[in-house]
Amino acid sequence: VKARTKRPAATGAAGVEVEIAGRRLVLKNLDKVFYPQAGFTKGEVIEYYARIAPVLLPHLRDRPLTLKRYPEGVDGMSFYEKRCPRHRPKWVHTEPVWSEGNDEFIDYCVVNDLPTLVWAASIADLELHTSLSLARAIDTPTLLVFDLDPGPPADVVTCCKVALVLRRLLDRLDLEAFPKTSGSKGVQVYVPLNVPVSYDDTKPFAHAVAQVLERAHPDLVVERMKKQLRAGKVLVDWSQNDPHKTTVCVYSLRARPRPTVSTPITWAEVEKAARTGRGDALTLEASDVLRRVERFGDLFAPVLTRRQKLPDAKGIERAAAR
Amino acid sequence: MARAIWSGALTFGLVNIPVKLVTAVTQKEVRFRMLHDADGGRIRLKRICVVDDAEVPYEHVVKGYEVSKGKYVAITAEELEKLDPKATRTVDIHDFVELGGIDPIYYEKTYYLVPDASAAKAYALLLEAMRRSGKVALATFVLRTRELLCCVRPLEDALALSTMNRADEVTPVSSLDLPKRAKPSERELAMAEQLVGSLAAPFEPERYPDEHRERVLELLRKKAEGETIEAPEPERAPAEVVSLADALSASLAAARRRGGDTAPHERAAAPPGRGERRHRPAAAARTAGRKKPARKKRS
Repeated sequence: VKARTKRPAATGAAGVEVEIAGRRLVLKNLDKVFYPQAGFTKGEVIEYYARIAPVLLPHLRDRPLTLKRYPEGVDGMSFYEKRCPRHRPKWVHTEPVWSEGNDEFIDYCVVNDLPTLVWAASIADLELHTSLSLARAIDTPTLLVFDLDPGPPADVVTCCKVALVLRRLLDRLDLEAFPKTSGSKGVQVYVPLNVPVSYDDTKPFAHAVAQVLERAHPDLVVERMKKQLRAGKVLVDWSQNDPHKTTVCVYSLRARPRPTVSTPITWAEVEKAARTGRGDALTLEASDVLRRVERFGDLFAPVLTRRQKLPDAKGIERAAAR
Repeated sequence: MARAIWSGALTFGLVNIPVKLVTAVTQKEVRFRMLHDADGGRIRLKRICVVDDAEVPYEHVVKGYEVSKGKYVAITAEELEKLDPKATRTVDIHDFVELGGIDPIYYEKTYYLVPDASAAKAYALLLEAMRRSGKVALATFVLRTRELLCCVRPLEDALALSTMNRADEVTPVSSLDLPKRAKPSERELAMAEQLVGSLAAPFEPERYPDEHRERVLELLRKKAEGETIEAPEPERAPAEVVSLADALSASLAAARRRGGDTAPHERAAAPPGRGERRHRPAAAARTAGRKKPARKKRS
């Protein structure tokens, strides 16, 4: 994204044709406000994604992407789109993934470069939801995820407390984990694997971990989905470790009132929030995240490369007993 | 022969007859294009959003179902596809019923079923059996994404397939506000019957051509000899291509003037904590140099 000052380009409904890394794209309605409460426009959404691209693209690379589009902004209706829109530019790369439900291959968008990312932003794909697998090895999750979802009045601080006990348990299993905010109310804990493993391994493992946590901290943790069980507690959602599920990608914007981002955070930040009881420092918006990345780089980089093996079920019991 | 619009098999019990579906009826309505009277240019339709009056590109059009006045549920093609019936490729016969038992109100559109060469015998057998019994087959099949009810019946040497309306789509006579049934006298009835008898004739549909269509076509033929409107090619302005930064700059400047909150947040500058084991902060510093995102000058 080169900075050149030229006459202002027309950006109305007719759109303006831009060239990004040799690809051409028509951008329209850049002034349209997508986040009314923050006055954050479509142009700013595109700018955010263009600037965050260097750290975001490695996490999108080769993964089937589910779009979550908000054509009228965050207050309007939205829809998930697994099938890459037919009206895509020719150069948008897709990968066929077998869909059990549809009994056919679905061509997913795969975002491997800046032009594709800008295109996705330009069709109001505010949220990027990725598979835990790469398209070419769809049965092999490269990571394991625990989605910590607070049931009010539990909040992000409660999530941090649960994240810390989860981390302690994973630590005893010799698994290093990496926390990120969901960009909404929760926290997600990622365990990089990057070894040959299947969902038949990861899902039961994640379930067992969640059960152990619930048993150890019944006041804090719940592992079943039921809404009435969740009040004041944190759901440790293990079920996302599934070939059919997606999780919001790190650095994705969320369709919240303000342009918050699913942001990698450090364990020290998690500890601080749990200790002080103040979670507002963990609500990070697009501009905050760009600034953090400039300073600290990609805190989630190890998630892409760290190779870790899951212990067997006995290992979990032993770790829990300790 | 007409092109097959579907191929599959007609099935009942253990019988399986490979067939193709071809159109049996072609509408011959005269169709017009819309032109601009001033220059003869073709008229193109645009989808305009009533909220901002701007054109809406196809990818931003979703389907909405009006649940109550002005309230919609949006649904995507994806969600609908999940409900689509499985394309079974078979016309499944469920029952054989009397042809006379089906009122024409149920008939929609008619096709022919043409058998594969290998299935000629089974096809002829079914056809003859239906002819002798005077029964027709009620069946279902999936055409594209819809499961259709249909009736299969012998028509000369072919089997015809007529798609049918569903029972709940047909307005029952009982819902009409009809005058009370008057009782005619025997004498009046005899006279009416005599009148009907005097106009009785065999059904010869070719005796009833669409005269209006003929007249319209005749007029068009005459006009075509005298004057035809040449539709000019639309002019296309060569598009100007700019960089992404240029495209964004004007829009972003305006957004920031409007007070879009992009002021630095104090918390953003807070370092990721000290006392981190393993990666922090060395890894952060390492990646910081390498993965620094390009920073765009604010205009």
